[in-house]
Amino acid sequence: MTSTARRWIGGSVALAALLAYPYLFGIYFTNVFVTFGIFALYAVSFNLLLGFTGLLSFGHAMFFGAGGYGTALALTHFKSLPLLPALVIGVAAAVALALLLSPLMVRLSGTAFSMLHLAFAQLMYVLALKLRAITGGEDGIGGFPVPPFRIPGLVSVNMKDPSSFYYFAAAVLGLSVFVLWFVTKTPFGSVMVGVRDNPKRVAYLGFRVPHTKAVVYLLSAGFAGVAGSVYALFQNLISADALHVANSFTPVTMTMIGGVGSFFGPILGAAIFGLISELTSRYTERVDLVVGLILILVIMYAPLGFMGFVDAVRARARTRFAPRGATEPAR
Amino acid sequence: MNRLADDPHTVKEDPMKPPRMALTLVIFTCLLLFGAADALAAAPKAAFDPDKMADMSDFDPNNPVIPTGDTIKIAVVASFSGPAAVVGQIYFISVQWAAHDINKRGGIMVDGKRKKIEVIKANHASTPAETKKVAERMVLQEKVHVLWGTDGSHLMKVINQVADKYKVIAQTTAALSDELYDETSFSRYSFMSSFSTDQIGRAAAYHYGKVRKKEKKFYILGQDYLFGHSLADGFKKGLKEYYPEAELVGEDYHPLFMKDFAPYLQKVKASGAEVIFTGDWIPDAENLLVQARQMGVTLPFANIFLDEPNMLHRVGVDGTTGLVHVSQYGSEGGFFKTPGQIKAYKAWNTLWKTKWGPPYNTRLYEHGTGNIGSYIQQTYWLLSVMERAGSTDPEKIIKVWESDSYQLLNGKVLTMRACDHKVIQDLHVEEYVAPAKQRESFNIAPYFWYEGTASVGPTVMVPAKSVLPKMDRALARCKDKSEAGE
Amino acid sequence: MDPTTAMYVAQGVHGLAYGMLLFLVASGLTMVFGMMGILNIAHASFFMLSAYFSYQVLAVFGSFWLALLVAPVVAAAFGVLCERLLLRRVHAFGHMGELILTVGISLVILEGVKVFWGTESLPIHVPTILEGRLALGGLDYPVYRLFVIGLALVVLGLLAALLYTTRLGTVVRAAVSDAGMVNALGVNVPLVFMLVFGTGTWLAGVAGVVIAPILTVYPGLADQMGMDAFVVVVTGGLGSLWGAFLVSIILGELNSYGVQFVSQLAPVLMFVFMAIVLAFRPMGLFGERE
Repeated sequence: MTSTARRWIGGSVALAALLAYPYLFGIYFTNVFVTFGIFALYAVSFNLLLGFTGLLSFGHAMFFGAGGYGTALALTHFKSLPLLPALVIGVAAAVALALLLSPLMVRLSGTAFSMLHLAFAQLMYVLALKLRAITGGEDGIGGFPVPPFRIPGLVSVNMKDPSSFYYFAAAVLGLSVFVLWFVTKTPFGSVMVGVRDNPKRVAYLGFRVPHTKAVVYLLSAGFAGVAGSVYALFQNLISADALHVANSFTPVTMTMIGGVGSFFGPILGAAIFGLISELTSRYTERVDLVVGLILILVIMYAPLGFMGFVDAVRARARTRFAPRGATEPAR
Repeated sequence: MNRLADDPHTVKEDPMKPPRMALTLVIFTCLLLFGAADALAAAPKAAFDPDKMADMSDFDPNNPVIPTGDTIKIAVVASFSGPAAVVGQIYFISVQWAAHDINKRGGIMVDGKRKKIEVIKANHASTPAETKKVAERMVLQEKVHVLWGTDGSHLMKVINQVADKYKVIAQTTAALSDELYDETSFSRYSFMSSFSTDQIGRAAAYHYGKVRKKEKKFYILGQDYLFGHSLADGFKKGLKEYYPEAELVGEDYHPLFMKDFAPYLQKVKASGAEVIFTGDWIPDAENLLVQARQMGVTLPFANIFLDEPNMLHRVGVDGTTGLVHVSQYGSEGGFFKTPGQIKAYKAWNTLWKTKWGPPYNTRLYEHGTGNIGSYIQQTYWLLSVMERAGSTDPEKIIKVWESDSYQLLNGKVLTMRACDHKVIQDLHVEEYVAPAKQRESFNIAPYFWYEGTASVGPTVMVPAKSVLPKMDRALARCKDKSEAGE
Repeated sequence: MDPTTAMYVAQGVHGLAYGMLLFLVASGLTMVFGMMGILNIAHASFFMLSAYFSYQVLAVFGSFWLALLVAPVVAAAFGVLCERLLLRRVHAFGHMGELILTVGISLVILEGVKVFWGTESLPIHVPTILEGRLALGGLDYPVYRLFVIGLALVVLGLLAALLYTTRLGTVVRAAVSDAGMVNALGVNVPLVFMLVFGTGTWLAGVAGVVIAPILTVYPGLADQMGMDAFVVVVTGGLGSLWGAFLVSIILGELNSYGVQFVSQLAPVLMFVFMAIVLAFRPMGLFGERE
């Protein structure tokens, strides 16, 4: 069987599994999957800055939160706002924030970038707490209407039903990941990697580094905003802890566990993280200890993450089984 | 004129008058219909009977006996990990105590079978996202019958949403926000058996204005979020109602987890305040009290959460005398009035002294009164409702609970207000005094609560009708109801 | 002094005291992060650990001064162990590796204090000599806070003296600036780094012991202090002791006078200040290091 055929079959099976998931696993795990999806996109958007452009964003939660608050506020104040515009408003809020910060941010790199990001994210967090009248402070904004997904004249799907929401979220998040993946495959994607590895050279080649950084920054922020937006819709609540520094650390951890170098690493990391979270919440109260030890052990012994581990295994397998002649039949 | 017909004492059969039986029936029916009008004075539908308590000598919170099989499942939703892990510990021992007792008595009869109570820990790690996840797991996978919780009204809100969505009973035992049962958040599956912010503030004001009538200048220093503001609003409302001569000389809201209270305390000093009203909980409560005493601010705090014994012992007798504590588990004129109450207290206290190991052998768990006592009694109420409903079917439970009233171990009666599921109850305001004077409240040997700190002494009862819980008129169910419930 | 002036002066002193409190915590972080470039999220956890150790010393020996001597050293020992066994290995992965590792360490410490000392808050008292208040020209000020101010100044003086006048200090500063060169000159650079990290953690430990009588010692203490320390270091300038000192005082005064005049906005002021400084000088006020 050709590898393309294999890929098509594999893809179809995966798609079928995805479609059948809610019916196979029930409401609870459907919701777990949605949470995984949200954080997978969040982590991927984060890795766009880190893995591809070499910028370690320590305050990514502010974009996530901006998306969430944008959508929540829009739905609270505009009573008959449909679903997709609400989502778009959330994303717009995140992009607007990024636009505001980008003139400053794109001129920085390394520690300065990370620290400044942390600083501004913390400022957003404190503001969200302070401006209680707008943001609801500690308690956040909740109970806003979650409108149905409507194509006028064709279909109206109730978003309060977990399965329906699952399909909506899977579509939105999946599409977002695809778009980002596509971007990394374009020539622009190569420029991004170039900026990470050798910005001076890229500049000499005629590319404008700050502009490249700005575009990536906006993309990263925007898609973090998508994740935050879906999160607010899913929870029917957005509160200051979406902006908390712990939420900034989450994509970092997920990316590291999954593997920085690969595009799909963060997605894998989100899945592993979700799994760990499920297991610890069921079987132990010593959550802090377990998570802490896992973090320490992973960074010490598998710092390239799961993907790194897979690559290492594959490399070893290759050297072991390699010289046997053609492994694929002629096409 | 027929004198016999005028005489109310003569019982004469007059063929023109309706038969006595029918009249009695009519009067009885009228009384039944308007019984709610007398809800506050009527006898409770059920009561906790300490004499029926099982032998609790084998109760060990570190080795709880958790039944399996066809049980009644109660999920205690709280933080069991992270910095706030102590909260989960407190809730667990409280609920498990009541469950253990009932289980030893053979469980309760529901759905035609005798079933025991299974208490399940549900860790929400103090975040809304995790709360939703764990509440859903409890409902969908563990198939619990009740969601019991929690600290933090924003987290309780999430629990109530899950309860409403999947039609499971939720009991608010520790979150205090009135907003949880307003028009936007109300769910008929959720019942609030704890007191709430508006009535707490008003109770404090009542105490100062109607009973104590001494201090006139008040400073409000609260946490800057919904809870802190609601509490302050209740206090201000109460002052207007019960103490118009009072003067609010200052009002400040500090961020949560504040480290340095000195600037606020300096303002308080300069304002000439005589009492500081605060709803702060640990760590803010402890930092506030400790730093205040270090700075020479000896003013009394009117509070809800400055009753934690570790913090009180740290400050010592002098710094804690004069604290004014609003309690939902108080008792005026001596805490121990009946042999049953003494028996129940000793059952807990003896185990604490002799049997329990860490973390349950600290001062926090010594008496099993205060908030712990309240949580235990609220759980007994839940179980009593289920028993009388004879079912775990939420609809049947709602039917019983909505019109229910229950007498707690300490004699207080909780009456459920049908339209918004809040509880009508007397509240108590306790003054903290030196150990020698504590016998006014701790009226059995050794006649003090604690030797190393001031604690509950004279206790004032604030009648229920003066502190009815806030009712949201926008809630359709409550539109035509009075605050007394009818 | 009339009461209003007295109040404003008092707020000023409060700001100084709080600033010094911040400085004590941040000074260690500025050494570790600012000088070595190691992002140590667990810094506040060592601070908390030291507070717990001091409780233990107090419980057994009853002497605050002994606790001040012993607890920071024990905390520093833990810190050095972490550096030697753990941090050193993840250095290659830059800040991300350090972040993950130190978050992991902070979680383990959190669980550790709960296991050994429980989940409730621990009582630590101001030592008897330092109890009470001083009447300074109409002002009624707690002696202990004056002690904190004094101690912080002593610490600053010692550190500055160490770094800028001793030979060891020169070696440290050189190693931090260009480790390779210093290594080539025959200096045991790993040892120097271990020393710097140990000192940084020791400083966090001192802060922990000193602050414990004022604050609640409970498992959430690290979370409370952690962010503030970072704000000070980042705003003051990575690697600058004077920057940390200055910013600490500014933030302390902002807090005090913020509460006095614009009470509702006070907590935001700190971060607005930080944002403004960083917008103009991303390296911080006196930032040296990239």
